[in-house]
Amino acid sequence: MIAEFLEWLQHTSIAVSVSEVWFPVVESFHVVTMAIVAGTIFIVDTRLVGLTSTRLPFSYVSDRMLPWTWGAFACSVVTGTLMFMSNATGYYDNTPFRLKMGLLLLAGVNMLCFQKVTFRRVSEWDSGRPPPAARLAGLISLALWCAIIGSGRWIGFILD
Amino acid sequence: MTLIGFSHWLSSTPLSQVIQRTHGAIASIQVVHIICLATLVGLALSLSLRVAGRGFTAEPLSSLAGRFVPAMWVCLCALAVSGSLLIIAEPFRTIRNPMFYTKMSLLLVAIVLTLWVSSVARREPERATLPRIAVAALYMLVWFGIIVAGRFIAYR
Repeated sequence: MIAEFLEWLQHTSIAVSVSEVWFPVVESFHVVTMAIVAGTIFIVDTRLVGLTSTRLPFSYVSDRMLPWTWGAFACSVVTGTLMFMSNATGYYDNTPFRLKMGLLLLAGVNMLCFQKVTFRRVSEWDSGRPPPAARLAGLISLALWCAIIGSGRWIGFILD
Repeated sequence: MTLIGFSHWLSSTPLSQVIQRTHGAIASIQVVHIICLATLVGLALSLSLRVAGRGFTAEPLSSLAGRFVPAMWVCLCALAVSGSLLIIAEPFRTIRNPMFYTKMSLLLVAIVLTLWVSSVARREPERATLPRIAVAALYMLVWFGIIVAGRFIAYR
């Protein structure tokens, strides 16, 4: 059933148009928005780890950066979906692609855990040194996003 | 020596041969290149927003630039090293590719604009005038253009 859906998806007019004409442009936009996502996350996470922008409260840094992160992420989802559609069966079977999706999920879980647990008491550490749990969340996030970039680059090397 | 001749020579150097023959080396260098690029984009965006009177407004522009501009130069050095290794490993992909020279031209513009931002940051008073906002927006477009040109190297 999945195979039939993927076959149908990659034969839609949008998918064919991306595959035959627009892929380089869509992919380039994906890399631009990915750079904004990762770059802004690096600024927030290095603050969370306590390495940079330590004179600014953590909540201030994240409030100023994360709208850009989410906006760029939404654009990445759109461009990523278009690329996936252009070769749905190929990407679905691609190991680095599956790894990238898994890593994105883990990054989301890491963020959710941080928001629900550590961030609730942010007023206690906002302007000071973040607690170990916060620093760990920041380190995990940095590692995950580097791995997401890595797996994203590997997709093209193995894609059918 | 022609460009083709230079590419042949470069491709035959020991360093090029090591990178070419090491499984995953080129991809790994590219990943480092992209991570450095993303870091630089985050810094550039924060700085551009600040020049435009947005973003980290709680910090004086001179202070923010004093932290972010040196970090951007470090990223650029890392990009130059990783980029050079990629050229050495695959000279035929870049040296005769017009898109590579487009990227390098845009990079030159980006470096000039980085120097301009650094200079603006030292001036008092810090005002988000319309020309400054326009140049800050252009600054980001140039970085995005560098990314697009870099991706298009593979398609030419």
